[in-house]
This record gives sequence, C-alpha cells and structure tokens, in this order.
Amino acid sequence: MDKYLLQYKGSKQVMVWIGLLTVVQSIAIVIQAIYLAKAITQLFQGADWSEALRSFVIFVVANSVRHVIQWAKERISYRFADLTAKDYEQQLLKKIFDLGPQVVGKYGSGHLVTLGLEGVPKFRKYVELLIPRTLAMAIVPFVIVGYVFTLDIMSAVTLIIVLPILIIFLILIGLVSKKKIDEQMDTYRLLSRHFVDSLRGIVTLKYLGRSRAHEESIAIVSNKYRIATNRSLRYAFLSSFSLDFFASLSVAVVAVELGLRLINGQILLEPSLAILILAPEFFSPVRELGNDFHATADGKDASLQIHSILEEETVVQPVIVSPIATWNDKSKIELRNVEVKIDEQTIFEGLDLELQGFTKVGVIGHSGAGKSTLIDVLSGFTLPTDGSCVLDGQELPHLAIADWQKQIAYIPQHPTIFPDTVIGNIRFYEPDATLQEVQDAAERVGLDLLIATFPAGYEERIGAGGRVLSGGEEQRIALARSLLQRRQILLFDEPTAHLDIETEHELKQMILPLLEDKLVVFATHRIHWMQEMDTIVVLENGKVVETGSHEQLLQQDGAYCRLLEARGRGHAV
Amino acid sequence: MNLYQQHILPYARKYNKTILSTILLGTLTILSAAMLTFTSGYLISRTSERPETILLVYIPIVAVRTFGISRAALRYVERLLGHNAVLKIIADMRVQLYHVLEPQALFIRSRFQTGDLLGALADDIEHLQDVYIRTLFPTVIGLFLFSFSVIVLAVYDWKFALIMAVLLAIVTFMYPMLSLYMMKKNQLQSKKLHSQLYNTMTEGIFGLRDWIISGRKQQFLASFKEESHASHAIDKKLAYWQQSRTMQLQVFSGLLVLVVGVWAGQQAAAGSLAPTYIAAFTLVTLPILEGLIPVSFAIERLPAYEASLQRIDAIHQQNTAEEPIAMELSRADQVSIVLDNVGYRYEGQKENAVQNISLTIQPGEKVAVLGKSGAGKSTLIQLLLGTVQPTEGQVHVNEQAASLYGDSIFEIMSVLNQKPYLFATTVQNNIKLGDASATFEDVQRVAEQVGLFEYLQSLPEGLKTQMEETGQRFSGGERQRIALARILLKQTPVVILDEPTVGLDPVTEHSLVETLHHSLEDKTVVWITHHLMGMEKMDRIIFMDGGEVIMNGTHKELLATNERYQQLYALDQGI
Repeated sequence: MDKYLLQYKGSKQVMVWIGLLTVVQSIAIVIQAIYLAKAITQLFQGADWSEALRSFVIFVVANSVRHVIQWAKERISYRFADLTAKDYEQQLLKKIFDLGPQVVGKYGSGHLVTLGLEGVPKFRKYVELLIPRTLAMAIVPFVIVGYVFTLDIMSAVTLIIVLPILIIFLILIGLVSKKKIDEQMDTYRLLSRHFVDSLRGIVTLKYLGRSRAHEESIAIVSNKYRIATNRSLRYAFLSSFSLDFFASLSVAVVAVELGLRLINGQILLEPSLAILILAPEFFSPVRELGNDFHATADGKDASLQIHSILEEETVVQPVIVSPIATWNDKSKIELRNVEVKIDEQTIFEGLDLELQGFTKVGVIGHSGAGKSTLIDVLSGFTLPTDGSCVLDGQELPHLAIADWQKQIAYIPQHPTIFPDTVIGNIRFYEPDATLQEVQDAAERVGLDLLIATFPAGYEERIGAGGRVLSGGEEQRIALARSLLQRRQILLFDEPTAHLDIETEHELKQMILPLLEDKLVVFATHRIHWMQEMDTIVVLENGKVVETGSHEQLLQQDGAYCRLLEARGRGHAV
Repeated sequence: MNLYQQHILPYARKYNKTILSTILLGTLTILSAAMLTFTSGYLISRTSERPETILLVYIPIVAVRTFGISRAALRYVERLLGHNAVLKIIADMRVQLYHVLEPQALFIRSRFQTGDLLGALADDIEHLQDVYIRTLFPTVIGLFLFSFSVIVLAVYDWKFALIMAVLLAIVTFMYPMLSLYMMKKNQLQSKKLHSQLYNTMTEGIFGLRDWIISGRKQQFLASFKEESHASHAIDKKLAYWQQSRTMQLQVFSGLLVLVVGVWAGQQAAAGSLAPTYIAAFTLVTLPILEGLIPVSFAIERLPAYEASLQRIDAIHQQNTAEEPIAMELSRADQVSIVLDNVGYRYEGQKENAVQNISLTIQPGEKVAVLGKSGAGKSTLIQLLLGTVQPTEGQVHVNEQAASLYGDSIFEIMSVLNQKPYLFATTVQNNIKLGDASATFEDVQRVAEQVGLFEYLQSLPEGLKTQMEETGQRFSGGERQRIALARILLKQTPVVILDEPTVGLDPVTEHSLVETLHHSLEDKTVVWITHHLMGMEKMDRIIFMDGGEVIMNGTHKELLATNERYQQLYALDQGI
C-alpha cells in the first residue's frame, strides 16, 4: 500500500465505505451464482420455465445489485481521487510559486509542466484504482472461496493453491521482463527519438542536402524500432498472458474435476454449476490488478515526484521587526560574506558588496562568474546559504521579503511575453494602469509606431499563439512595463547581448535616461554599458575582484583589463 | 470521416492481412473464453446425467482443457500481432509525413506559427496508434462476435436469433452511437480545456518571476485553479458517464442471461434442444457480452483523434510541391553570385521584404550583412539559396537563376545558422552528415580545423561521444563548432553564416569568430551577423534597412567615412 494514502483527506472514510460495499458485493456475487445455478438446474431437471423464473429473477436482482455496487464504488473512488488530485495539483503549483525560480531551475520547466498536466491525471487514476482494487483483492476471493468450501472442499483447495502460485509467477515474470526490457531501454529510447529528431532537424538536413535521402533512414529506423518494440512486448505481455493462462486453466481444471466427480455421483449438479460460475469470479480481482499494473505504476511514479517537490523546504520567512522604507538616496544595502550553494555547487563564497543610494552599478565577468546569481540574490529569488544582507542597518538572512521585492523592477535577457494583448502585457505589473498611461509608456520606449501597424492596436494578441515579437521588441515591452511600475531599484540581467548591434544602440539611447535617480544593478557582457555606470563590480569565480569606475579600472590593468583582452579587443583597436 | 479515409484507411488497406488476422485472433480469444464456459457448462450437465463411461464425455473434457489454454495463448499472439501491424503502419505514416514535409521544410515556420509543431506532429502519429488498437480492433471484433452469435442462434431458432439480434444491437450499436453523440461535445471540450490548461501552466512556469514580482501570484493561482477545476469537472463528467454506462450494460447483460436461459429451457421442454445445453447457452451469454461492451468505449474515443488527424491533414494540404527540377551541374569550385536589382514581396503582403538589391559576390569574397531584425536579411538568404524566386530582378549563381538549382544548390552553398540541429547520435555521425563517404581521418581533420579535436580526444568516447538530445552534452560554442565541422566536410565553395554567434558569451564568440575566419579562408562567405566582432577581416560590409542596402563598403572605408558605423563600432568595442 501507499505510504501517503492515509494522508489524503477522507481516505479512511473511503476505505471503510468501499470495504463495506465490497463485502456486500461479494455476497451478491455468491447469491448470483447460487440462483443462476439453481435456475439452470431447475430447467435441466425439466421444470417449467415459469418455475425457474423466480430463481432467474433473483439472479438478475443479485447481478444488478452487484453492478450497482460496483458503480457506487467507482463513483466514490473517482470522487475521492478527483478531490485528492485537484488538491495536490493546487498544492504543487502553490509550492512551485513559493519556492520560486530556483525550483524551476532544479527540476526543469518542461518537467514541471508535464508533471502538472500529465502527472496529475495519472496520479488521479492511481488513487482512483488503489483502494477499490486492493480491497477487492483482499475481500472477494476469500468470500468466494469460503462459500465454495461449503460446497466442495476439493474445488476450494484447487482455487486456494492456484492463487499464490499465480501471484508468485506473476512477480517472477515481472522481474524477468523488467530486466529484459531495461537492458534494451537505451537502444529503444534512441530509436524512438529518431523520428522527432529527424523532424526537428529537417531544416539542417535540407541545408546539408541530405533531407531527401533521409526518408529512407526513417523507414529503416522505424523498422528497427518495430523489431525492438516487438522484442520487449514479447516480455511485457507475458505477465498478462500468465494471468490469463493460470486463471482460465484453473477454471478448466475445476470444471473437469467437477465433471469427473459428477460421474461418480460424489457431487450434485447445482453446487457444481455454482462453483463453475464462481471460479472466474475468484480470479477476477487479481486479473484486474494485473491489467491495471501499468496505469498504477505510472501514477505511483507521478505521486512520488509530486511528493518530492512538496517536501522541498520552503523558505522560512524571517520576522521583520521594522518595515522596510522606500529606497532613497540615503538607503544602503550590504551583502556580507554571502555564500550561495545550489545543488552542492558553490556559486559564491565570502562575497561582500555595498550598494548605496541612487548609484548605477555595472556587474561584469566571464560566463559562470555569478552575475545572474548576484542579481537573483538581490531580487530575493536565490537565498544565501550563509552570510547576511544588511538593509539600512537591519540584518536579514535573505531578501525574499515582499516589502523589498515590491521596490524592484527586473529586466532579464528574455522577458516573458504572456499570451495576452499588447496592453495586457505592458500593464502586467500594474493591471490598474489606464490606457493613457500604457500609451505614454509605449511611446517612451518607441513601441507606439509598431503598435500602430497592428490591426487591433493595443488589443492585438502577442506571445504564444499570437503575433511573434523580435528580441528588441520584447525588450521594449519589458522596459514599458518597468516604466509603469515606477520603482526605485532596477535590476538588469544581460538585456541586450542577443540583439543586433543597431537595435542595441537604439535601446541604449532609450534605457539611459530611465536610469537616473534609481539604484541600478546592470549585469552584462557588453562592455559599452560600463562607461555609463558609476561603479563597476568585476566578478571572478564567485568573488568580487575589482570595483571602481571604468577609467579607474582601465588604469589598474587588473581583472577588468584582462576581461577586455579575452574578447579580442586588444588587436581590434 | 473524410480524414479517416485519407489518413487511416489507406494503411489499413495496405496491411489488411495482418489486421484481419489480428481481428480474427481477437474474435477467437473471446470465443475461446465463451467456449470455455460453454463446454464446461455442457460437461457438467452431461456428467450429472452420469454417463456409463467417461469416454462419452471425453471430447468435452479435452475441449474444456483446450479452451482453458487457448484463450491466454490466442490473446498473447493477438496482442503481439496487433502491435506489430500498428508499428508497421506507424513506420509508413512517418515516412509519408516526412515525405510531404521535406519539400516545405524551409517554410514550415512561416506557414504554421505554432510553437513546437514538429514535435506535436511526431506525437500525433504516436497518438494515432490508438485508432487501431483501441478503436478499430475492438469495434470490428465486436461486430464479428455479434454476427457470429446471431448466426449460431439462427441455426437453432431463427425467430429467437432475431430477438437476440435486436437485444445485442442495443449493446453493439445503440450504446456506442449514444455515447458518441452524447459525449462528443464533452470529449472536444475536454481536449480544449486540457490544452488551455497547458498554456496557462506553461505561462505560469515560464513567467514565474514576473508573477511573483508583480505581486499577482495569488491571482495566477486563482485563475489556474478555476481552469483546472473546469478541466477536472469535464473529465469527471466523462468518467461518470463511462461508469454509469458500464453499470447499465452489465445490468442489461443479467437480463439477457435470463432471456437466454428461459429460451433454452423452453427449447429443451419442446425437445428441440438437449437439456445438457441449457447451462451451456445460459452461461455463454456473459462472456459474449464482455466482448461487446468495449465497443462503446472504442467508438466514444473517435473525437479524440480529430485534432491529430487535422494537424496531419493540414501538412498534407500545404504540400503543393511539384517535384523540383534537379539540375545537372558539374560541381563548381568557383562560384560567383550576382543579384541584379532584386526585390521580393511575400504573398499577401503590401510591402516588399527586400528591394533594389544589386550585388556581385566574387569567388572567395567575404561579405558581411548587417541590419536589424526585419531588415530583410533572412529573405536575402532565401533568395541566394533560390528557395524563393525574386519578384523583381534576378539572382544568378554561376550565370544560372538560383531557383533553378532546386535542392542541388546545397552542393554549392552550405548554411550555418543560429541553432544548427544536432542529432541524438555520436559526434562523428553528426559531422559525417556533411559527407557520408568521409573517412575517419577526414572527420579528425575537420574536428581539428574547428579546434575541437583535442577536447574530443579528452573525452572517454572521443569522436564516438553521444550528443544526447539536441546536443545537450555540449555547450553552445561547441555545438556551433561541431556544426561548422560538418560544413567543412561538405566542402562547398560558398558558406552562408546566419548569425551563428547569437547567444554566446563574448569570449566564446570571439574565439568562434577567429575559427570561422581561419577555417573558411578559401571560401566565399556571406555572413549575417548581429555584432561587429571580426568585421575588420571582411572584404565588404553591407548594411540593410527596410529591405534595402543602405551602406556598402570595407570596414576601413566605413569606419573612416560613416558616422553611423563609427557609433556602432564604438558601441560594440565598448570604448
């Protein structure tokens, strides 16, 4: 059984109800068999059909009761599974939002989306099947075999002996086939990815002049894939084969056994028929369990993954004694001896940094030096594993504080463009902004001309499923957003490196005036920005190695100069 | 229905033998189960008459044992055979899809503005397996069973067979149709809500920071909750319907047992049926019905295939490709390219994407093309490759119109683009895509040229290292180098570089640019770039804006005379 099962809300009641219903259902199954056997025997013995009708009607009623109970069980468990899955889906999403971007980095955005959308229904299926299937397995065969005992000990013993053999066999076959299938999993995965790989690489194949010829290789690989799949299916289907085999073979054995004893007059027709009818019912729970094996295995997997995310430690919010004031020209924030470790990897160690008032701070360094992590620490998305942040004299373990985050505008390399209208995107952070305000912001970042060319203007849909924007246009949207926000602290993380030089030039002209009277932290590879900064912080391997203005650092002939040389500036001039 | 005719039936027809055998085996599987019940019912009744000798029931005993074993064996073979047939069909569908996709490969992006269309198409084909396994097979098996049962009954009593035909038709035809009719809307709605939820979830995860910073986290969670509940609610509706339907059909099955039992009793009383068959006929009803009940579920699924079929159909519809004339050409080592007053306008657009472009590129010349996005750079590449025909003027490659070359243009020109695709195979295989007949030494040579040889040597598997999915194993710069090696191996006289350094950090960018200059020394190079790094080594720099060439000259000339260029160069250098 599942160790989380008892945690699910209402699981105990559901178990009690389903347990009770299963008991009644087993009794109905027995009654159904008794009266069907009786009816047939009556007819066989030459009774008039109207006489047998009474037994038949009881059979029909018992059969109906049995299936209505089945229906009720399914409905109860579906309802329970539905509520549980919905609850866990919400919890999962809330957890992801509580943990922030770090968890996305850790698990991968694609994985989280798949887990939420495909994992949750699988989890639901699993929860739905878990209780009724397990309880049916625990109750139905025993009730049936108990009754068969009263009719014929021999048959009961046959059934009792076969069941554990069947289960042991099932486990053995499961182990062998799993091993066999795992052995060729790598080949299998490679082959199965080949087609999607070919489709995604079709442009490259075209450029290489190989696309026409590749058609043949698709046929060949698909064929190999088919052969490999067949080979593993041969094993995968074995378990259901053995279930079917043992179940129907033992029904046959019981039938022949009964026949032989009927000849000898050791048993009567009516109980024999009842046993014959009950024999398949005896095996039906274990067969269902076997048939649903894959569905439940996937669901259990999803359940474990969901739980492992839910068990991630959430940030312990610090108790803030005094409220954080709006950032002004006297404010000061200090990072003291900050250490950041992500998944055992040390990004920062002993990092000290002081930011004061409305200054413009450039952050530069090789890729991997920790520029983005520094921005993340400042915006409170990454929590230092050691050291502290001192904000206006208040010592804080980290900056994931709503009062602080409220003051920050963040402009990344690839701002998120939501599948929404232009206006919805621009006022994403300030949903209450008026059309006039949005238009003013758009004009200041030079978006107004572009928007004027859209048929629906500000109502034009952009992002996934809508109009696609260029990198420069996306960046302008991000800038327009930050204009509406009117925040005192601006954090930039490599906003222009991927843009063409002209667009970069235009954007620079637009961005520079926005930086006045703000605390600006600007992380980038692009050196031209550094001249506009008051201070430059050079990062190397997670440490601040130099600070100073562009001119000062040029004269120092230190890390900053080395950085410039490494990108070939030396021989270009 | 039309979609099925075009994209499902042809394959079913092609593999009709395997499919038919699968269906026959499927029918036999259920009949085996039925016959196990039938014969054991008979056996028990017959033995209860206490025949003189066991030999009289020898045949039923053997039959019971045989059917006990055959059901499992038949089912096993049926499943293997069915999957084999479907995998064959899938292979064909893949080849077919690729076949129609290949000629339009370069236009897929502009024609279908959806995220990962190609990934979706690959999934669609996987998904369509279910048409066969979950819908076609159970439905036809159900139909066979239905006919079989009615015919066998008709042998005994055609009037009763008629009654049973009507009753069984309720299970085989009425309920499936009813399910389809009642649930179609819900099925489609469920699909729609699922994809909506997918979008919302993606939006939430990718925009996580923004939702948190904007303080709209709660709002997102609330709206997600609402959408997710709607989606769960519709799933629940579907599940409840399936549960209720199964229950109704099972209760109905009980009634049918009664009907058959009473009929058998009457027949026996009338003497037209041996009493030993009463149990057999009565008991066989349930296993037969077990084979008919799944038809409802199979038919109900039909709407779920619609979206996949439509997507595949859309690709087929777009396939206008007449077989391009592949021109016979001698592999030229010297290529000159002439653009004479070229203009191009996309269908349905008001303005030209490029216009008035006149340009001669001499063999061995290195030309850089600069310009903002939308300036017409990509169109220029397409014109050079001849994949689009100019609407004005002419593009000539070695005095022939570029568009006449068809796919053989790629024997002359190679393209290294922003994200060259690397296949999930070894590094060596990826490089050898440039020239399948290349020797190991050739591969080593080009790996050396792109400065990867030593690094690859240091890996335990060397050139046999797996790239993993989309080349993840390697960094951005390394991926570009591998793609470059591929092109070098191809040895085309012209190489078009389409912003290959976007997304690389300056150090990596710088060293890749050095490698590019170095390894492409003796080739004609058209280099579309977003930065000015390495411009000083180019023979000519062209600036495009609004589809026209607005600056044209060497680095030195432009730097000396052109103020705009000076500004941009200063910016790029950071001085």
